[in-house]
Amino acid sequence: MMEARLLLGLDALSFLGGKGFSILRTEFARDADEAVQAAWRLGFPVTLKVSSPDVLHKTELGGVKAKLRGEEEVREGFREIAEAFRARRPEGRFEGVLVQEQGDGVEVIVGTLLDGQFGPVLMFGLGGIFAEVLEDVTFRIIPIERKDARQMIRELKGYPLLAGARGIQVDLERLEDFLLKVSRLIEDNPQILEMDLNPVFLSRGEPLICDARMKMGGPQKAAP
Amino acid sequence: MKGERLKGLFSPRSVAVIGASNNFGKLGYHVMKSLVEGGYSGGIYPVNPKGGEIWGIRSYPSLSEVPHPVDLAIIAVPAALVPPVLEECGRKGVKGVVMITAGFREIEASEGAELQERVREIADRWGLPIIGPNTFGFVNLPFGINATFTPEFSRMERGGVALVSQSGGFCHLSGFLAMKQGVGFSKVVGLGNRANVDFPEMLEYLGEDPDTKVIALYIEGIDEPRQLMDVARRLRGKKFVLAYKAGRGKKGDDASRFHTGSLAGNYRIWQGALRQAGILEVNSTEELLDTAKALSSSPLPHGRRMAVLSSQAGPGLIASDRVEDEGLELARFSPQTQRRINDILPPLAIRSNPVDTGPAWYDPGAIVRILEAVLDDEGTDGVLFLNMFASANLRLAQGVREYMEKREELRKPVIACFAFPPGVWDEEVRRMDRRKGFVVLPTPERAARAMANLWRMKLLLEDGSP
Repeated sequence: MMEARLLLGLDALSFLGGKGFSILRTEFARDADEAVQAAWRLGFPVTLKVSSPDVLHKTELGGVKAKLRGEEEVREGFREIAEAFRARRPEGRFEGVLVQEQGDGVEVIVGTLLDGQFGPVLMFGLGGIFAEVLEDVTFRIIPIERKDARQMIRELKGYPLLAGARGIQVDLERLEDFLLKVSRLIEDNPQILEMDLNPVFLSRGEPLICDARMKMGGPQKAAP
Repeated sequence: MKGERLKGLFSPRSVAVIGASNNFGKLGYHVMKSLVEGGYSGGIYPVNPKGGEIWGIRSYPSLSEVPHPVDLAIIAVPAALVPPVLEECGRKGVKGVVMITAGFREIEASEGAELQERVREIADRWGLPIIGPNTFGFVNLPFGINATFTPEFSRMERGGVALVSQSGGFCHLSGFLAMKQGVGFSKVVGLGNRANVDFPEMLEYLGEDPDTKVIALYIEGIDEPRQLMDVARRLRGKKFVLAYKAGRGKKGDDASRFHTGSLAGNYRIWQGALRQAGILEVNSTEELLDTAKALSSSPLPHGRRMAVLSSQAGPGLIASDRVEDEGLELARFSPQTQRRINDILPPLAIRSNPVDTGPAWYDPGAIVRILEAVLDDEGTDGVLFLNMFASANLRLAQGVREYMEKREELRKPVIACFAFPPGVWDEEVRRMDRRKGFVVLPTPERAARAMANLWRMKLLLEDGSP
């Protein structure tokens, strides 16, 4: 078996874009000037995220600055991210930042893993503290059917948020399509051993993947 | 059809007990007692090298010396003697084996697992299905065989529930409770160490079993859960399947650098997988029994709107709370229904939903008419019917029983509770329980839970969501 490797940031997003997923428009910038130019191309507001092979959890490091509304804020954001990185990862390799159009809507997490007993498994939950602290997430065995996608969405305790409780309209049918598509992605690409799509922004349109990371491996044994 | 090969094992025309004994200190004694006192009508052939009569039946020194065909061999000899005995079973043309002997994969020493592997190899070579090793056996109640070391299992009531358990202890725990709570069984099977018969094959077999309507599983952990899911999916709409999953321990992989990996505990995945396969998950021994009983004897509700009738107000309030906690609703009666109730009950107590039937204490006929009125209401999908004994309503149970005997089969579920001093209503309740869709459970809370599980099962089968 080949050794597993990680696919992060723009690489992971591009991979998913190539598989027909909608991703937030994202550009790589080495310095503040490039970040500003990218922001103009993408349109304000934007989000900056640290780009480094040595950082997996960007927010914990102060590596994310969201809703930047103008050139000055982008420059300041870049400076803060670079400083935070140097302070906390003095040995790390700072490549620059990802400049991303600002996402909007309800944040959810969609993930997959390869379980020793069950084989490939799909997870769905609301983003942020809902998943991490309250563990309001739900699982199904891949492949799933549409009724499974429906149930996954509706059995979350936070389902009212998806059903419009906070005034954000979410297209639940497109969300079902999205979960089915992730299930198919894993069926068709068994080299993806583990994957977090976190967050994915949901609103009236197509779900938009904001950030992704994947563990890719060599040819795996088929699901038991 | 893989379940096919289990037919001879579960419905044998003759049984050999290898290790049969007249000595109370041997399991072979208790197995013989189960077969003989359980009234098994096929041939019984005790096997013991000492010879003579065992339990009054002529014994044989070895299986090969039994001069008749043997369908089922129950093996209760020490572990070390099992391989040659199993070879003998193969040569004899036995159709299946119950291996009560312990000392295989379940023990700490590695010899146990090695011996089990050898047993599996011999059995597979002869095409012999094995229940066990390390099992208490099985009962097939409609067929009339108790192939366990616990003779008292013969006293279980017959019914539509098949219990398949990874643990013999759980069969004893739930089996004896079930006797007190009027749950009826088609089969009870302890799978033990599952040498070569596991949950999926059992499910295949029970899927074709006309005596079984509900399959209740007690699962600790299995090697190939996907196979179980695949079979269960095929049984959708054919049998009800529910499961109690124990051994939930440990959550996800804390070392995982992925959110998904760290959140994915084995039990969380089981929960999703069970639902995906159309298996209803339950969370306690009582819930498993209550739900299995309700599923085997009640119609499923068409909606979530429940009527609560109670002969005293408090239990009705408890049931109403639970109805809402469980995701059900209290029905709103139509004006016509409400008029029918108001004509019967004086305005002394709550007459909407829940209905306090207390003022009609002296008249079982009146209480039955209220039950009928809410059953007729198109806006009611099921009834929780609570009856607490008081000296003044002594004849209530009899009145309800007579009504149920006269009326046609219920098309909506009625789950009833009868609370009474021992000896007062037992016989009446026993006579109406599980007949015509009428089911009795011990408390309002458990009745509401079982009702909610009927509704959940309905949703699960219709691809709906909880």
